[in-house]
Amino acid sequence: MSAIVSPTREPLILGSKTYHQITEDICRPTEAAPSKEWILGFIVAVSGLGLYFFSVLWTVWNGIGSWNLNRTIGWGWDITNFVWWVGIGHAGTLISAILLLFRQKWRTGVNRAAEAMTIFAVICAGQFPIIHMGRVWMAIFIFPYPNTRGPLWPNFNSPLFWDVFAISTYFTVSLLFWYTGLVPDFATVRDRATGWRRKLYSNLAFGWTGSAKHWQRWESLSLVLAGISTPLVLSVHTIVSFDFATSVIPGWHTTIFPPYFVAGAIFSGFAMVLTLMLVVRKILHLEDYITIQHVESMNKVILLTGSIVGVAYLTELFISWYSGYIYEQFAFYNRVFGVYWWSYFGMMLCNVVSPQLFWSKKLRTDLWVTFFMSIFINIGMWFERFVIIATTLARDYLPSSWSYYSPTWVEIGLFVGSLGLFFTCFLIFTRIAPVVAIAEIKSILKSMGDQYVKHNTVADHAHHHDEEEEHAHGGLGHH
Amino acid sequence: MEFNNQEIWIGVEDLTNDKAFVEQAKQEFPSNINEALQSENDGFNTNRRDFLKYLGFGVGAATIAASCEIPVKRAIPYVVKPDSIVPGVANYYASSYVNGSDYVSILVKTKEGRPIKIEGNGLSKVTKGGTSARSQAAVLSLYDTHRIQFPGAVKEGQVNKMTWSALDQAVKGKLDATSQVRIVSHTIMSPTTKSAIADFQKKYPNTKVIVYDPVSSAAILKANEINFGIKAIPNYRFDEADVIVSFGADFLGSWISPVEFAAQYAKKRKVELEKPEMSRHIQVESHMSLTGSNADNRILVKPSEQGAAIAKLYNAVAALTGSPSVSAPNVNEKASKALTKVANELVGAKGKSLVISNSNNVNEQILVNGINAMLTNYDETIDFAEANLMRQGDDSEVQNLINEMNNKAVNAVFILNANPVFELHNGDKFAAGLKSTSLAVSFNQTIDETTSVCQYSAPANHFLESWGDANPKDGHYSLIQPTIAPLFDTRQAEQSLLTWADSAPQTEQPMYDYLRTVWQTNMFPKQREYTTFPAFWDATLHDGVFEIAENKTKIFAINLDAAAAATGITQPNSSKDALEITFYETVNMANGQHANNPWLQEMPDPVTRTVWGNVLSIPIKFDGSQFLSVSDLKDGDKVEIELGGKKYTCVVVRQFGQMEGTVAIGLGYGREKAGLCNNVGTNIQTAITSNSAGLPQYFASNVKMSAKAGHDDWFACVQHHHTMGVTALDNGKQINADEKVLAFQGSLVERTIIRKSNLKDVKELVKVLEEEREEHRRLNSYTLYRGHEDQYQSGLHWALHVDLNACTGCSACTVACMAENNVPVVGKFEVQRHHEMTWLRIDRYYYGDVENPNTVYQPMMCQHCDNAPCENVCPVNATNHSSEGLNQMTYNRCIGTRYCANNCPYKVRRFNWQDYTTADIFPWNERDLMGSTLGFSTEMPYGADNLTRMVLNPDVTVRTRGVIEKCSFCVQRIQEGKLSAKRESRKIQDGDIKTACQSACPTDAITFGNKNDKESTVSKLRKSELNYVVLEEVNVAPNVTYTAKVINKIEKLDA
Repeated sequence: MSAIVSPTREPLILGSKTYHQITEDICRPTEAAPSKEWILGFIVAVSGLGLYFFSVLWTVWNGIGSWNLNRTIGWGWDITNFVWWVGIGHAGTLISAILLLFRQKWRTGVNRAAEAMTIFAVICAGQFPIIHMGRVWMAIFIFPYPNTRGPLWPNFNSPLFWDVFAISTYFTVSLLFWYTGLVPDFATVRDRATGWRRKLYSNLAFGWTGSAKHWQRWESLSLVLAGISTPLVLSVHTIVSFDFATSVIPGWHTTIFPPYFVAGAIFSGFAMVLTLMLVVRKILHLEDYITIQHVESMNKVILLTGSIVGVAYLTELFISWYSGYIYEQFAFYNRVFGVYWWSYFGMMLCNVVSPQLFWSKKLRTDLWVTFFMSIFINIGMWFERFVIIATTLARDYLPSSWSYYSPTWVEIGLFVGSLGLFFTCFLIFTRIAPVVAIAEIKSILKSMGDQYVKHNTVADHAHHHDEEEEHAHGGLGHH
Repeated sequence: MEFNNQEIWIGVEDLTNDKAFVEQAKQEFPSNINEALQSENDGFNTNRRDFLKYLGFGVGAATIAASCEIPVKRAIPYVVKPDSIVPGVANYYASSYVNGSDYVSILVKTKEGRPIKIEGNGLSKVTKGGTSARSQAAVLSLYDTHRIQFPGAVKEGQVNKMTWSALDQAVKGKLDATSQVRIVSHTIMSPTTKSAIADFQKKYPNTKVIVYDPVSSAAILKANEINFGIKAIPNYRFDEADVIVSFGADFLGSWISPVEFAAQYAKKRKVELEKPEMSRHIQVESHMSLTGSNADNRILVKPSEQGAAIAKLYNAVAALTGSPSVSAPNVNEKASKALTKVANELVGAKGKSLVISNSNNVNEQILVNGINAMLTNYDETIDFAEANLMRQGDDSEVQNLINEMNNKAVNAVFILNANPVFELHNGDKFAAGLKSTSLAVSFNQTIDETTSVCQYSAPANHFLESWGDANPKDGHYSLIQPTIAPLFDTRQAEQSLLTWADSAPQTEQPMYDYLRTVWQTNMFPKQREYTTFPAFWDATLHDGVFEIAENKTKIFAINLDAAAAATGITQPNSSKDALEITFYETVNMANGQHANNPWLQEMPDPVTRTVWGNVLSIPIKFDGSQFLSVSDLKDGDKVEIELGGKKYTCVVVRQFGQMEGTVAIGLGYGREKAGLCNNVGTNIQTAITSNSAGLPQYFASNVKMSAKAGHDDWFACVQHHHTMGVTALDNGKQINADEKVLAFQGSLVERTIIRKSNLKDVKELVKVLEEEREEHRRLNSYTLYRGHEDQYQSGLHWALHVDLNACTGCSACTVACMAENNVPVVGKFEVQRHHEMTWLRIDRYYYGDVENPNTVYQPMMCQHCDNAPCENVCPVNATNHSSEGLNQMTYNRCIGTRYCANNCPYKVRRFNWQDYTTADIFPWNERDLMGSTLGFSTEMPYGADNLTRMVLNPDVTVRTRGVIEKCSFCVQRIQEGKLSAKRESRKIQDGDIKTACQSACPTDAITFGNKNDKESTVSKLRKSELNYVVLEEVNVAPNVTYTAKVINKIEKLDA
């Protein structure tokens, strides 16, 4: 993996780390007692999870009537949440697969957490299509399996049916990818552990020994999975966008949706990665591994995708005007100035205007600005989905049926609760697995470690006394 | 030993031909079989382990069985199956719907002995097969859980059970030949009831019948008595009139006989392009009534100006016909100008015009008669040959009774199908009088406001359980026959009266025999067709109606003193700024008689589109950039109005077409003792005043309206946007007002939803439609997909057509659809958040002048698109297309993603948000109809009890929670029609199958049929140049089409 690195590149690993120090630093959170911040966060997250369970139970028990959707607006917060979570789930694969193929070294600092985030986000996303039916036990009807109901198959024309496969495929591949990456790291943790933890990690590590053959297979598998995931990055949200694009409703029926949804997804995914990483690096003391460099790189992606999304918004407006089609024109006029105008302006402000701040290097390397911006973008992207779904439905063809919708506490509970579910999973993850890919970060140490990249540290070999030992444990392996 | 030579043998015995075996085999019944069985039984020993197994299984099974609460379903088979009942096949019985002053000749559909649906009786020359929303809903009132179930004494709003004989004794004990008895009733249309009362009077000669109408038309009766010597409502002929002028009379919605009038009216409103002619209808009123909304022109006058407006028209017509004018107060300038032009129209259509008024001022009605007389309309568009007998009430009599009662001049009062305590404006006085009367008996079916202050309740049968008759018009008789045995221990009121008069027939079915006797004596001699009474009876009972031409005498001497009458008209309110209010009868509620009928409560008012309550309509103005209303009130805000020193809290609706300086509110709401639906809306009854002649006046001047005083959080209105582009002037330029408010010019009117024109421009409309059609078809021909039209070219392909010119918005179809298709009632809270379940709704749009717009009603149901957008998005194929073009729903396949509903351009799909029909009994999630949460209370949600569920149509699946439903084109009726045709070995003919909405429609606005049959009516209508498809450019290829709306408007009438 070593490539020529321009001497002008900033280092990605700070603190003149040795291999051993890396192991120590990253394994520590899985070994030490949880910090106060972690416990506090966990309590909050689990409370959210509790709210989630309660809201789901309430919905299933009482029916969708406990929500405020109506005859005109059949989807609201439920599908908004679904699309939002799926979107967030895009960063992981992008970072793992596409950036891997592009040999972007900075990905090593964040890919583990991003992939974990992807998996948890997809878990959250996957709940909503099931919950939104109310009678969750009917979900089996959507699967094409030989059945006793005669030759009765699902409707292969329906985008909702495609969704099932898009999401489940994505989830499976992401999970495999993530776990594959975790295997050598679990082995590292195993080698340091004793007692029941050793047994646990021993199982999790699948008997990884760090042999050359293991490494070779591991590399091949990573590459194959990256190859499989790369089209998925594009396909999943494309298919999700088909939920709208294949309809006949003005404001949904647009060909721009697939690229626009994908860009938006990456945009929101990176924002969520940033939100998480900025907190994680602070709490788990990983500032040396998740550096300003990482943050800046991601901010650049955000700037790019945010601008793509902005162009898409403007294109939509232009095309609706240019179409000469009254329904289309009205749909977009209504989006901007209609009853839900505030959500459109919220979306514009958060998604298009605010990321432009990142043209300034000062701002895109400022952690506080980045943190607030990442939250902003996630709010904006939630608004975007809400604008597309609820605003469009609220004012479609027949003025007689126009309606308005605001959620009940149950719907809000489901959304807030799903955040609880997500953070609970994520917090548990930070306690169990190394949040930075140890093996991968070690692989770029010699090319991106500050002691190697910065000219004044070239001769500083004094700290590398335990390098040999590290090799013996198989934590890094052969390159 | 001889070996068996056969190739096949069974065992050694067979092979060796063992003697015993051969013997055994020869016998058909082996002798030892019993022994064998016996020995087997002996071997059937239960050991200890088996015993434990059985014990364990038994206890386990019993425990499981006992722990599951299995609902008890009673099914009682016929011991002897009645000949007439074939399970699954409906029986129809001709009957009559009579309630208050409504009359509709009906057929009652019964299934397995249960009446489940009301259909119109096409044999009636009065209602001609049409129905009203009220009559459609009547079947639900049969299964009203709040009906009184036994006779008894009334104590504190409860009926304490008595036997009928005990009640009879108690009543008779208080009566003697000298007793002053009063029977209070709404108009009695029944000759048999009248006969029973006459028999009662024989025993108690001091009996008087006090008749009043829920909403009074007494002035017409009195004016006709003065002018023609006939105290009756004349026979109006809207189908003969070219120009119709109505002063406030809502003849399409609630006035006298709307079903009859609507049918006549629609005849003259349907447009044929070869001969583009239609009647012209001018409505003079202050609030937007259903009839006014159908008018070509509306002239706005304040309620107190109505008399002056009538006088103005009188003078204008007099001037043109050379009659003397009368002196009268002035009407507002705009109306004055308009009425002068209208007079020209009327005189131009002499003898072919019709002027009517709902005024309850005798002098104003005399002037109206005078106008009709000058126009020589009598015996042309108005006659007394078939006088209308649906209103016979005289309000002064009931007012006298109140005095009599309070002066203790009355010994007994019987309440016969009337609720004066609620209906009368001084109902409290009536109640006080009733309480002080020594005997007060109510025949009413529920413990209503009047019954609860009576001493005894002698509950009458529901009309669907009764024998009876009606005489709605001279020469028109119809029968009422029971369609189910009385559900409760009730007795017909007539029978009670006869019993108390000791003249009831002592037979098994006294009312049947009594009715027959009445008909044998009175009706049978009137005809020549049948020679024996049984033949006549059977035929009449089968047809439901008996119609003869009697009393064909013409008019007459007219004794009309217009000048004198003009002095007695209502004087317009002198203060120009005073706010005036109109009290009007709503289409659904009458004067509160239907308050306990959830179908009618949930039927959106055709004009205001609100449900579950009456609303105060307030005027709306456009100031060039936005819509304004008094005090900046918004729909659903609450205000307090003060009139006559009393205060009423009302919910307001900003109503287009409501005259400035006026407000209006519906009558008959806010009943406290309706039963199930109590305190729905505002009780405004007490605000009504009587004029000097003792006739109630349905308006008031000098109303004070407060500013916003709260908001109705559950303001339930099914349509939030009301216009399809209303025009206004903006700096002298004509703009579309609501498009200016909403978005940009053209954003509404360029939608291909409503196609409309004025009659004189109809050719232009045809051209526009043609161009549009061509453009749409051109656009739609660009497709990625191979068409599948060829699949639909042969065989049956169902299509529906709605004539927007015939549709008056009366909503009979809406209620009929609910009844036919088991559409659940969801209550106010649910409708408020747009959870109504109606499969068929009537969209109402205003267009034209912002201050005085025209209206179009568009019945909207599933369009059964051949390129249905709902079908391809359903992930589980729960909605799909039949080979006959039906868009079908498979309820038990639906998983509830709601994508189909989102993707429906017409928004006709309905989701079962909760377990509304309680098909699965998830009662904990439901609210009651008034919106209170049921929570963990033991009260059942509406529709869960077995009585109410008797109304369900067994042919239609009751939907469960979480599935989508929508109009099916009454697929159960299609199936029935197909099966009948098959049974009779013939093809389906046009008209074999009628959807519920079609058969309910009084104006034949809806046509259903096979569009592949070139000769079918629907095919012909689809070929009309005025036919159009809503949203054709979306290319969903609907099978529902509409005829463009054409009006016959006089432009610049009031300029």
